Amino acid sequence: MKNLLTRTLVVCLGLVMTGLLTAPFVRATTPDSTKVQATIIFDRTATSVNGVTDNSKDLWVTLEDLKKSTRFELKPSGVCRDELCFPLPKANRESFVRKQDDGSWFNLSAFARLVHQPIAYDEKHSIWLFGDRPAVQNGFLATLTAPDFTLPDVNGKMHSLSDFKGKKVLIVTWASW
Amino acid sequence: MKEKNFEIISIAQDTGGVKDAGPWITGEAYKGKETAAKMPPTYTALIDSEHLVTKLYNLVNVPTGIWINEKGKLVRPPEVAFIDDKFKEFTHLDTSQYLSGLRDWIANGDKSEYVVPEKQLKARMTPATPEHQLAAAEFSMAEYLVHIGSNDDAIPHFKQAQKLHPENWNYKRQAYLLADSKKNYGTTFQDEVKALNGKPYYPPPDLPPKKKD
Repeated sequence: MKNLLTRTLVVCLGLVMTGLLTAPFVRATTPDSTKVQATIIFDRTATSVNGVTDNSKDLWVTLEDLKKSTRFELKPSGVCRDELCFPLPKANRESFVRKQDDGSWFNLSAFARLVHQPIAYDEKHSIWLFGDRPAVQNGFLATLTAPDFTLPDVNGKMHSLSDFKGKKVLIVTWASW
Repeated sequence: MKEKNFEIISIAQDTGGVKDAGPWITGEAYKGKETAAKMPPTYTALIDSEHLVTKLYNLVNVPTGIWINEKGKLVRPPEVAFIDDKFKEFTHLDTSQYLSGLRDWIANGDKSEYVVPEKQLKARMTPATPEHQLAAAEFSMAEYLVHIGSNDDAIPHFKQAQKLHPENWNYKRQAYLLADSKKNYGTTFQDEVKALNGKPYYPPPDLPPKKKD
């Protein structure tokens, strides 16, 4: 009898503990915490979206807004853009995609962490900025191919480094400060 | 240095864009001052108000020079590059060595001794660490806020960028220019240079010894 009582107590305690441990986690990944008018900056392009944010300040967006702001799309094989596909971990797929009554929501912050994109966040202006993946940033160190860029001159005319292929180029940076 | 098959691209790392960098390109900033530079310049002068090149190439100061060959490959690591002696009093650098290297490369191409062999070059390049990458994202956030007119709100993000990548002078000097550096950052450019304690602000480029003509 005493044994059973102890066991029940342990089980009860266990249930309470499990509840305590998982409750905040579940809440943190529920995409209906706070509706937010957010600005996403991805690939240096700003897009306005109606998102939701949770306790951990992750940004959840609709699949339409995912495509609009990042050109990535949710497919059976993963989160894809052109030939690039990142499979979502099966074990915790629900921390990336959630179905709500009004459609599917995608945790863009969790995805950025998955692919090691740095995230800068500004609460006051409700801006989530996603930087380049390390493979993009450091890719040129393996090939030594100078990363291309396109920038304006003082009259607004655009020039790309690749326009100068076939010539030797000296890039010199400077600043007015 | 207008040579056949050789182009200079100057790129202004200025959040203020044309407003800040423009006068130095059109020559307006030199009005009434003696200047050796021909204005407007004969080379391609670009404006980079998002510090795109700083981030792409993981650059930490200006002026930085990058040599790119006909195939679009880097042949030297990004390095301090003064192409005249305008700032010699401050830099104490002998720019003639860099310039004679440049002339040698223009004349001899990949055979020039100033071209760093691939293996060595890879070892001499600095990859961006996760901290550097986050610093770049914070800096981009700060610049975005400046561009939408919220200079004050940019300050915490500039600070974060500086903390994550303290060796990056571009992140410091640009932020100081847009604020009262003593009041907002508790320091000034001069304070920061003093804090180097004799370590050179501009590490001299690692060039082979100059050939005797």
